[in-house]
Amino acid sequence: MLTLFFVTLVVCCLIRLAPGEPLGAGPEEEIGMRVSAAARAELRALYHLDQPPHRQYGLWLSDLLRGDLGRSFHDRRPVAERIGERLGVTVALNVLSLLLALAVALPLGLLAALRPGSTFDRLAGGASYLLYAVPVFWAGLLLQIVCYGRLDWLPLAGLRSPESEYLGPAGRFLDLAAHFVLPVLCLSYGSLAYLSRFVRATLIENAAGESWRAARARGLSLASVLVRHGLRQAGVPLLTLASLLLPGLVGGSVIVETVFAIPGLGRLFVESAFQRDMPVLLGLTLLSGAATLLGILLADLAYAVVDPRVRRA
Amino acid sequence: MRDSWRAGSLIAALLLQALAACGAERESPGATSPVTVRALLSQDPPSLSLLGKPDHNSEIVATQITDSLVQYDDRLELLPRVAESYEFSDGGRTLVFRLRPGVRWHDGRPVTAADVIFSVEQARDPAVENRTFAPQFADLVSLETPDERTIRARYSRPARGALEAWRLPLLPRHLAQRGAELLTGSYARHPVGCGPFRFVRYRPGEEIVLEANDDYWDGRPHIDRLVFVIYPDQRTAFQALRARDLDIMVASPDLWHEARLSAAATRPESFVYYRLNLWQIGWNMDGSNPFFADARVRRALLLALDRGQFIERIAHGLGRPGVTSFHPDLVWTDATIEPLPYDPGQAGRLLELAGWSPAARGVRERAGRRFRFRLMIGDSSQGIVDEMAAWLQQSWARVGIEVEIEKLEWRQFRERRLAHEFEATMAGLSFTPNPDQFELYHSSARDAGFNYGGLRDPEVDRLLESGRAADDPVARRQIYFGLQQRLHELQPIACLIHFATPVLHDPRLRGVVPSPIDHWRTTRGPREWRWVEDLAGG
Repeated sequence: MLTLFFVTLVVCCLIRLAPGEPLGAGPEEEIGMRVSAAARAELRALYHLDQPPHRQYGLWLSDLLRGDLGRSFHDRRPVAERIGERLGVTVALNVLSLLLALAVALPLGLLAALRPGSTFDRLAGGASYLLYAVPVFWAGLLLQIVCYGRLDWLPLAGLRSPESEYLGPAGRFLDLAAHFVLPVLCLSYGSLAYLSRFVRATLIENAAGESWRAARARGLSLASVLVRHGLRQAGVPLLTLASLLLPGLVGGSVIVETVFAIPGLGRLFVESAFQRDMPVLLGLTLLSGAATLLGILLADLAYAVVDPRVRRA
Repeated sequence: MRDSWRAGSLIAALLLQALAACGAERESPGATSPVTVRALLSQDPPSLSLLGKPDHNSEIVATQITDSLVQYDDRLELLPRVAESYEFSDGGRTLVFRLRPGVRWHDGRPVTAADVIFSVEQARDPAVENRTFAPQFADLVSLETPDERTIRARYSRPARGALEAWRLPLLPRHLAQRGAELLTGSYARHPVGCGPFRFVRYRPGEEIVLEANDDYWDGRPHIDRLVFVIYPDQRTAFQALRARDLDIMVASPDLWHEARLSAAATRPESFVYYRLNLWQIGWNMDGSNPFFADARVRRALLLALDRGQFIERIAHGLGRPGVTSFHPDLVWTDATIEPLPYDPGQAGRLLELAGWSPAARGVRERAGRRFRFRLMIGDSSQGIVDEMAAWLQQSWARVGIEVEIEKLEWRQFRERRLAHEFEATMAGLSFTPNPDQFELYHSSARDAGFNYGGLRDPEVDRLLESGRAADDPVARRQIYFGLQQRLHELQPIACLIHFATPVLHDPRLRGVVPSPIDHWRTTRGPREWRWVEDLAGG
């Protein structure tokens, strides 16, 4: 908890130190659109911008202890509301992309570890590095052009079709699912590549160990050893990795959200930074920090499940 | 095993079919489904309260939901709308409006003078953060309502230009909250107006849905629904337009060019028009640098630019060289003043006269100081800004001037400019049709206005003050003609280019009328749009 509050204090100070205030017009100023000095002073007081950073942070903290994340500087809506309306979408997208990445990466890594150096292993490795190198915005636009523009298989962007209001619950669910396909693909291919190589490397590292030699000596096939022993051994580092990925589930991806017009937390974070919207940034930092702590806790609990030695200890 | 694979394949195929059906191209509005026009909005408006925290997007939405006492038509004439008539008296210090009978809020209650007073009060409340209209009521002294349909506004000085402020969106006194609560209360979530469209719903980050007001005093709109779709990425929006999932959008020059080259079957209709904006370079003339206090240098820098070539090759012809900050389409503009031509030879001569002579490696020097300055630009969603910066660097290098481009995030750029910590800046500037540019050029407007470069010219000050005070429109026009001549001599800001606004739309959407305001906020906005299925019939 101390770490969490320290992080939010640092974020608060960084925002205050950044040049520019949340008040003011956008990139194209209009002659006549100038706030008077008196009005500007009133607004600065309203937003506590006339307070030093530590005092402004203290005000935020006292509101937080009452369960209030404050109001956005940008549109004056509650921060909890702004985050809440995007949190579900972001988590859903990221969970699905993580599951897809794991579902493909595990068998791919397993099969590659089965015959290290084989043609399949080399092809899988090459494909993984290629996928990892592809920029997300390029992949997103390409998927849109092919799957929407040329083939008309999937919707372009957003979360729902214009006609979804006329559909029943099942239709709306399928409509939503269809809108998730391309963003999830874009979010998953990079981590898929990374995870498959990670699984492969972990399994190969353990293959030379005594437990595997003993299992093979008992007559188990290599495939059986990989599945029964290898996955379990790879589970510990994989869980560590997964716990590090948990904050990313609420982090969002500003590029994917922009290309696919998804109202997610990634865009909210970037927009709030440009708008100097301190309450929203602090709320998002708090969320991300809490997700990190939760990820570490879940990883510790999962170790005990996967590794009996941890339970006995 | 084989049966389970077959069953699995069948289920997968059905699912894919269902998914594909969800992603299929939107059918044309038929006889039974509402006629819906889907328009692009690049980002969420900061507020739907119709008055609070306005930006261009929120003003577009607000003018569909509610009306105002007066509004511009497509030729920039201010026409009475909710006001049936208006009259100036007392030497221009008093303005009286008479409200039109039969104008009602969407809940059926009549619009009264009390609603107008309420709207002005909210606009002037700092907590509402209305930057557009609040400054325009600065000289308003009092507001009275002798009866339910009459408003009398008194000003501290003659206010011929005050009529423009009454484009203020009207709010219902019986529904909208006051002050800061206007932005945070229930009204901001469900605004009610007296305009041609009613608010239906807002999904943040996705869409704003409006429906036609059947009881609108000036006639029901021809379309049933107007949906603002929020796509932050222009290319995504362009793809949607080509597939007819979007009906109208403002495009970048590159996308406009691509649209014109696309196949006839998917080619959208397009037109361009010029809004009241300008890309300009502001010179810091306060003496903190040795370059820009001299008018000959400022003139030379503009002469060194081949704006025609840039417009043709980079902007696909979508622009015209600026002359002064008076937009070419305004009645106040002196059409006899020509833009400075591309003449690098003359630019060189002027620089020599100013004491800047070519020295080592072709860079000009004066008294041992090289002509090297920093051009500050703000981060912008418009990609052409980077190309302009590169073009400026190359053009000025040819006449012996070195330029370093300093690109800053927008708010940081704004802070540096407000603090006058720059040598030269490049940015966009928007105007209203009001010819008063006091805030841009008057010597008193350095800190309180937009005179960032610190121009101090007694003749310019005199003309600006006279223009504000003039009663007679003919005399006023002559004053502004004189001002333009003087500004053209001085070149306090380099009026680079008026970029055109390209609009792409579905060919079946008719009646979109552009104006220098835009195609949304005039009396001939979406209310007059029509959807035509039979293109041959038009």
